[in-house]
Amino acid sequence: MTNAGRLRAFIFACLAPTLIVYGLFAVVPIAWSAYYGFFDWSGIGDPKFAGWANYAAVVQEPLFWRALKNNIIIVGASIFGQLPIALLLAILLNRNSWFGRAIRSAVFMPMVLSTVVVALIWKYIYHPQIGVLNYVLKAIGLESWAMPWLSDPAINMYAVSIPVIWANIGPYLIIFISAIQNLPSEVDEAARLDGATGAKKLVLVTLPMIWNTIKVTVIMCIAGSLKAFDLVFVMTHGGPAHTTELLATYMYNSTFAVYRYGYGSAISTMIVLVSAVLILLSQLLMTRKSQ
Amino acid sequence: MTKRLKGFVSLVLLGALLAGCGSSGSNGGEASAPAGSSDSASAEGGERVSLSIWHNYSGDDLRAQTVRRLISEFQEEHPEVLLDSQPIPTDSYRQRIQTVAAARELPDVFLSYSGSFTDEFQKAGLIQPITELLDGNQEWTDGFLPGAYDIFTYDGEVYSVPVAMSATSFLFYNKELFEQNGLAVPKTWDELLAAIEAFKAKGVTPIAMGNQAPWVAQSTMFGVMADRLTGTEWFMNAKDGSGASFTDPIFVEALGYFKQLSDAGAFQEGANSLDNTQAEQYFIQGNAAMIMNGAWSISNWAASASEEALQKVGVAVFPTLPNGKGEANTITGGPGGGFVLNAEAEGRKRELAMELIYKLSSAEAQKAVAESNSMVMYDVDIDASKVTPLFNDAFGLVKTLSFSPVYDLYLSAAGGEAVNNGLQELMLGGDPAAVAEKIQAAQAGSAQ
Repeated sequence: MTNAGRLRAFIFACLAPTLIVYGLFAVVPIAWSAYYGFFDWSGIGDPKFAGWANYAAVVQEPLFWRALKNNIIIVGASIFGQLPIALLLAILLNRNSWFGRAIRSAVFMPMVLSTVVVALIWKYIYHPQIGVLNYVLKAIGLESWAMPWLSDPAINMYAVSIPVIWANIGPYLIIFISAIQNLPSEVDEAARLDGATGAKKLVLVTLPMIWNTIKVTVIMCIAGSLKAFDLVFVMTHGGPAHTTELLATYMYNSTFAVYRYGYGSAISTMIVLVSAVLILLSQLLMTRKSQ
Repeated sequence: MTKRLKGFVSLVLLGALLAGCGSSGSNGGEASAPAGSSDSASAEGGERVSLSIWHNYSGDDLRAQTVRRLISEFQEEHPEVLLDSQPIPTDSYRQRIQTVAAARELPDVFLSYSGSFTDEFQKAGLIQPITELLDGNQEWTDGFLPGAYDIFTYDGEVYSVPVAMSATSFLFYNKELFEQNGLAVPKTWDELLAAIEAFKAKGVTPIAMGNQAPWVAQSTMFGVMADRLTGTEWFMNAKDGSGASFTDPIFVEALGYFKQLSDAGAFQEGANSLDNTQAEQYFIQGNAAMIMNGAWSISNWAASASEEALQKVGVAVFPTLPNGKGEANTITGGPGGGFVLNAEAEGRKRELAMELIYKLSSAEAQKAVAESNSMVMYDVDIDASKVTPLFNDAFGLVKTLSFSPVYDLYLSAAGGEAVNNGLQELMLGGDPAAVAEKIQAAQAGSAQ
């Protein structure tokens, strides 16, 4: 065996355990789920082969499209809410002061709390009768702004987006801070000598240098928000009347509330497809921008 | 040589695999019973038998405690049984059972809800009849209220007997608020609307409703409301798709009545984002004049509310509707859950499982459950001092009523879900005819 061949074999041997585990617990279930999508099964009795019927039904179902639309709202709220706020905080809190550390911990807090707790807290903030939000609005004379935040279909999707943003800033903040701290100080100095300060330096030097990090966080954001389930499920169950239904809650409700296992599997497969398409799109867009 | 080695290795592996299967098999079966002791045990009158039972009596309320006590009594009476009792919270009970059913790993005995839930198990051949238990205990059998186990009877064979009466749509009202406003408990639709107007003018929520989990509006209010209008026979035909359909004008009208209530401001703001428990609390604290809820509210209030608050609560049924074809004095409900027997249980296991089912549904068991403020489908003499007066009133009332079907117990899962979400949609301003279409499509699509 040549040296290069040996090296390749060694690399492969090192990767093998991860690949096997990943294949077994990620790829195989996705394939299985896609396969189950071809059956009609209520959980009791024998599954019946249904061909493409489930997939066709998913695509024709208005609820699926509404769930997708709601999900895009969450994706949008995450990308344009979480990332800018995290980036801004990262730039402001970059210095290792006492104040910076305190704020950083505060922002990271919700990540340490169980999602169910976060969801319940927000449910009480939004409570139509005893909620803090309505109480504050009334107290400062904005009585007409007080409303049933989670049950009014005109606003409830935005109302559930806020906790999703709030709870998930933490990890992006950490990622951005480490990216900024890893920037070589020579560049910083050179920029300063050339007269770039403040916003100019941020746009012309810092952002381009952490652009790859931003790209990765966008992928994480899209993948994470398409999977969004727990917060919304606890706060609204996807209701009332499906108005806050997301792809994942729709999949859950179809599978475990209505017992259409095949249909639910077909939705899961669609979620995988939608994620892949969105991630590809975002990467294409951002590559062009960076060149 | 290498070939031989390979052969040897695969043999060893095969052996390990088989051993693995074997040991897991005995875990599921006779568990920790040592091989030697089973002989001596059988000499004393029986082998050790493992028995599993799943139920939803997991809470801390009186009824759950009573049933769990009965189960441990059974264990004491039968030391030879290795009893595995799994209490599972109600919210996830149906899903858990459905999941193990899908994997063909149902417990030997489990609580099953009457109606479509039990239908499915029976149709799939997953449960077996317990008719011989009834035939062997005539006196016990006679104690059940008329029609108590009809719903569990398929082709002349009885598969279960109810251990609970479900009554899902009482109209509870706050006597004090009605008196203060000089109002009588509404007996007709117009009186109900007038009461709603009057309470709204006073700033009191007319009807408390917590419909975030959307079965609430359907189970506690809409079912009985629609029944007043359509009558029970129409519903039974519509659900089977024989000669009636949910798109019939009469059903659209029923949906319209519900929408009218919501439009009249009968429910508190944000009713669709509140839990049923929150609505129960809202009512018992005197913030709302009425609430429609099931018998379960009584045991919840008995455990959490003050005696003074409880005394203010009166109980009635939903008023009549103009030109209603249904009976006036009905409440949705009927026989609640009962214990069923896994089709695979046989021999000594089957006998013991039967005994366990009897233990949990016997006359004494029914009495004990009733005395924990919970209604049963059995003729019992309750000690009035053991239950709250409200329970006595409600149980007394139920005995004068007849039952009409709870929608989601009879509709398919998809049909029930369509009704639930449709009602939420109406509360958000939806169109009754469009909702009716969706309900019909979901029910017809899943009934095939």
